[in-house]
Amino acid sequence: MIDPLNLATILAMAIVTYLTRVGGYLFLRNRTLSPRLTTVLESAPGCVLITIIAPQFVSGHPADLIALVITTIAATRLSLLPTVLVAIVSAGILRNLG
Amino acid sequence: METATKDPDASEVAAKSPSLRFAWRGSESWRGLKAALPMMLGFIPFALVLGSQAAQKGFSVAEVPLMTGLNFGGGSEFAAVQLWTSPPHLLLIVAITFLVNSRHLLMGAAFAPLIRHLPRRQAFTALFVMCDESWALGLADARRTGRLSMPYYFAMAFGFYICWVVFTTVGALAGPILGDVTRFGFDMAFPAVFLVMLAGMWKGPAAARPWLVSLVVAALTYVFIPGAWYVPAGALSGVLAAFVLARPA
Repeated sequence: MIDPLNLATILAMAIVTYLTRVGGYLFLRNRTLSPRLTTVLESAPGCVLITIIAPQFVSGHPADLIALVITTIAATRLSLLPTVLVAIVSAGILRNLG
Repeated sequence: METATKDPDASEVAAKSPSLRFAWRGSESWRGLKAALPMMLGFIPFALVLGSQAAQKGFSVAEVPLMTGLNFGGGSEFAAVQLWTSPPHLLLIVAITFLVNSRHLLMGAAFAPLIRHLPRRQAFTALFVMCDESWALGLADARRTGRLSMPYYFAMAFGFYICWVVFTTVGALAGPILGDVTRFGFDMAFPAVFLVMLAGMWKGPAAARPWLVSLVVAALTYVFIPGAWYVPAGALSGVLAAFVLARPA
C-alpha cells in the first residue's frame, strides 16, 4: 500500500515543510527582515507555481493553448470551482473540434 | 467537555447555565470553528482535485492522507503531485516543497509574538497547523481582541487540517472512478487550480514581474532541455529576478 520511495519522499517533504513553519518562529522572530528579503520570500511561491504549469503553455496544441488562455481569464474573475469547470469544458470542446 | 473547562469564556457561560450544549455554543472553540467554516468549504474542491490527481499519478489511497496529513501545505502538494514520477525525484520535490513553503518563514516570524508565551509543545503544535488561512484568521482575531485565543485558533486550524486530510482522501478514492482524466479535458483542472492560486497571490503587475521571468525561462527550458530541469531553472530565475528587482532604491 505504501511504496518505500514514495514514503521517503513524503517524509522528506513533511520535514522540510515543518522546518519552514518553525524556522521563522525560532530564527527570525527577533530580527527585522530587510524589505528586499521580504519581497523575495513573498514572490517565491508564485514563481514556483507558474514554473510548474509553464509546459502547458508550450505544448504545441492550439486547442490546449486557447483553453489555457480562457482558463487564465476565468481564474482572474471566478472562484475555483467555476474556473475548473470552464477549463475542463473549454479544453474538452476545443480538442474535439480540432 | 475538555474545551469548556480549558476555556475561560465557556466555563463562565457554563456556570450561568446548566446546559453543556449552551456552553459549547458560547465557547471560543465554537467561535473558531464558525470562522473557519466558509473557508473549509472552499478547501473541498481543491482537496478533491489534489486527491484524484495523486491517485492518477500512482499514489495509493493510504499515501494521499500520509502526504496531506504530514506535510499539510496545499501549494507544495499540488506541485509535488504534478512532478511525481515512479520512482519520485526526491531532491527535486523536496527543493520545490521548500520554495513553495518558504513563505511560512515570514508567517512564523509574524506569528511569534502571539505564541511566545505558550509552553513549547503547544507552540510547536500551533505552528504545525499554521496554514495561510489559519495564520490570517488568527492574526486578524488577535488584532481585534489584543491576544490570540488558543481555543479559537486550535479549533479553526484543526478544522482546516481535518477538512484537508479527509477530502484529499475522498478525492483519492474517487479518482479511479473518474478514469483517464486527460479525456474530455479533465487534465485542464490542474493548471486551472494553479492559476486560481496565482490569482489569489496577485499583488499588482510590478510584484508579478518575477512570475513572468519564471514562466518564460521555464517554458524555454522545457522546450530545449529534456527532463525536469525547467523546474529549478524557472523557479530560481524568478526568485533571482525578485531579488534584483527589489533592490533598495
